[in-house]
Amino acid sequence: MTLLRAWLAGLPAYLWSGWGAIASLCLLLAVWEAVSLAYGPLVMPDPRAAFATLWGLIDSGAAWPELAATARRALTGYALSVLAGSMLGLIAGLSMTASMMARPLVTVLMGTPPIAWLVLAMLWFGASDGTPVFTVFVAAFPVIFIGALQGTRTLDNQLHGMAEAFRLPRRMMLTDVYLPHVVSYLFPAWIAALGTAWKVVVMAELLATQDGVGAALAVSRSHLDTAATMAWIAAVVCLLLAVEYLVLEPIKREVERWRGQGA
Amino acid sequence: MQRQTGCAGDGWLARLAGRPVFMCGFRPFFLATAVYGALVVLAWTGFLSVGLPLPPVAGGPFVWHAHELMFGFGLAAVAGFVLTAVPEFTATPAFAPRLVLRFVLLWLAARLAFWGSGALAALLPAAAGGGAAWLGHLPAAVFNAGFAFAIFAAVAPRLWRDPDRRHLGFLWGLLAMAVAVGGFHVDVLRGEYPMRWVRVGLGVMMSLIVVALSRISMRIMNDALDAERARRLPARVLRHAEEAELELPSYRARPPRRNLAISAIALYTASEFLMPQSAITGWLGLGAAAAVFNLLNDWHVGRALLTRWAFMLYAVYWLLALGYLLMGLAQLGAPVAPGAGVHLLAIGAMGLSILAVLCIAGRTHAGYALDERPWVGAAAVLVALSALLRAASGLPDMPVGALQLIAGLGWVAAFALAAGRLGALFLRPRVDGRGGCAEYEAPASGTQRAGA
Repeated sequence: MTLLRAWLAGLPAYLWSGWGAIASLCLLLAVWEAVSLAYGPLVMPDPRAAFATLWGLIDSGAAWPELAATARRALTGYALSVLAGSMLGLIAGLSMTASMMARPLVTVLMGTPPIAWLVLAMLWFGASDGTPVFTVFVAAFPVIFIGALQGTRTLDNQLHGMAEAFRLPRRMMLTDVYLPHVVSYLFPAWIAALGTAWKVVVMAELLATQDGVGAALAVSRSHLDTAATMAWIAAVVCLLLAVEYLVLEPIKREVERWRGQGA
Repeated sequence: MQRQTGCAGDGWLARLAGRPVFMCGFRPFFLATAVYGALVVLAWTGFLSVGLPLPPVAGGPFVWHAHELMFGFGLAAVAGFVLTAVPEFTATPAFAPRLVLRFVLLWLAARLAFWGSGALAALLPAAAGGGAAWLGHLPAAVFNAGFAFAIFAAVAPRLWRDPDRRHLGFLWGLLAMAVAVGGFHVDVLRGEYPMRWVRVGLGVMMSLIVVALSRISMRIMNDALDAERARRLPARVLRHAEEAELELPSYRARPPRRNLAISAIALYTASEFLMPQSAITGWLGLGAAAAVFNLLNDWHVGRALLTRWAFMLYAVYWLLALGYLLMGLAQLGAPVAPGAGVHLLAIGAMGLSILAVLCIAGRTHAGYALDERPWVGAAAVLVALSALLRAASGLPDMPVGALQLIAGLGWVAAFALAAGRLGALFLRPRVDGRGGCAEYEAPASGTQRAGA
């Protein structure tokens, strides 16, 4: 309860600190505007045209089904990789042998370009949801796996010993010693993986499906409709920014608070 | 030069410089700021509402009011501030009364020359033709640019030689301001419409305000926080001591946020100068607004913010941000007159911050405690209101004439109040037994300090 109250009390200040980010983004918009002025609307529509198109898509209701389809695939693949990556990573981290074995495998996974997985997925799953979901899973899994592995590998043995000396109950051992440390590794990995998932799903849709933002991008490309292209890109980026800064970043700060107070 | 012209002139200058009003740089200039601010807007409101004639100058009455408020009123306040603050910041001796007097005379000459520039051109023989306007404006150009560069030259060596060079923001600000004044008059002499340089001056003024307020606010906000801690003292005794201590953070004006805001304002100003009507400038305006809002992160410290002086400075930033927001939106094609945002900056941010500086720096350096009487609040509300009304007159379907009249009268009333309440202090010798620019020192609690 106190935690919730502290979180709510800190919320306005956190939201207000977003102005700095908005200032930088406005600079980006100015650069975008300059590029569009220099090269003409066919190469790069100006931001207002793109936002107007996006607004038109949202207003007519055309945007929601596509965004929902994309979000469904991205989140399904992401959830699978969070589950599998965290579990397997934690388990692998517990044993030195397992982590030694796992590392090269993960390197192979990370080194294989997502587009290669996409080609395989298209062969295996066809034009179903399976293709983007699988591609997202394969792209996000190694990032989370490595995070979880690092988290368990770097657990402080002396801390463990001290906790034992004080005869800490098992439950406290888990929640107060292991969990904060592991989570502080897992969380950044989850956030990085979410960004990857969101990017990869659009790419997969572009090539493999009939609906979703990626498919809409493919259509607007074939119509040479740069305004719609930029509108879809803006929609995807804005959604990612919203999820990251409104949901994940506050949680991350809360989870990592103990680090700053340590010394 | 003075020595050769004889003792009479020398003695006259020396006698005048010996008056209390020239004891410190802020005294004559803050007095001039308040009086001149009220006068110019009174004349301008008269022109707008009943067609009162204004001095004919190159570019017409709009240029007259913009130039006089930015480079007459605004620059007088800046001069008063830096002539007082720079010696204090750099721990160097105060500027001598005779030097202060010369700056004041130069400022007066600049005002007279600009007011009379049209009349002078008309007086010149018709044979001069197109050259008459040029010659008529020349004295105004020389005195105005001379004043701006003289102020820069007076404080530049001290700011530069300061071991840590922590106050170079003022140096660049003053230099940019002098360039803006110079650019204005070069444009007039070349026969071009010079308003773009007033906009540059406005941007520079906004940056200077951000720099100056960061210094003033540290003091004001931490005083307010101390008062708030003292107010909570009983609660602190009753409850856990550390808990009460933790509740109130201390205030610090952090450089990274300030630098971001100044860079954003500078970018907008440069872009507006190069591309006056462009969506690029519009986005940069929104960016400047966001960067100024970002500055307020330092300010949200709870109830201490709601005290008089803290809130006044806080309101300056809001007006600053809203001004850039409106200017940006206007450039992006929103149905807002471009003048709306400009006036939020010029009347709101500049007017209110100058009023605050007059009240805070003016009184403390004249040897008085901060003024807690109600007129300060009334004047501040009048300035803020007149900024909001003037901005509102730029929105669609507004009674423009009525709003501008009320806005003008509100401003005049506020600065007339300031001139009346503060002017007397600046003209009188100090009553606390200290001299020059020395700051007010509160008598030690309990025992009265000897001589205070």
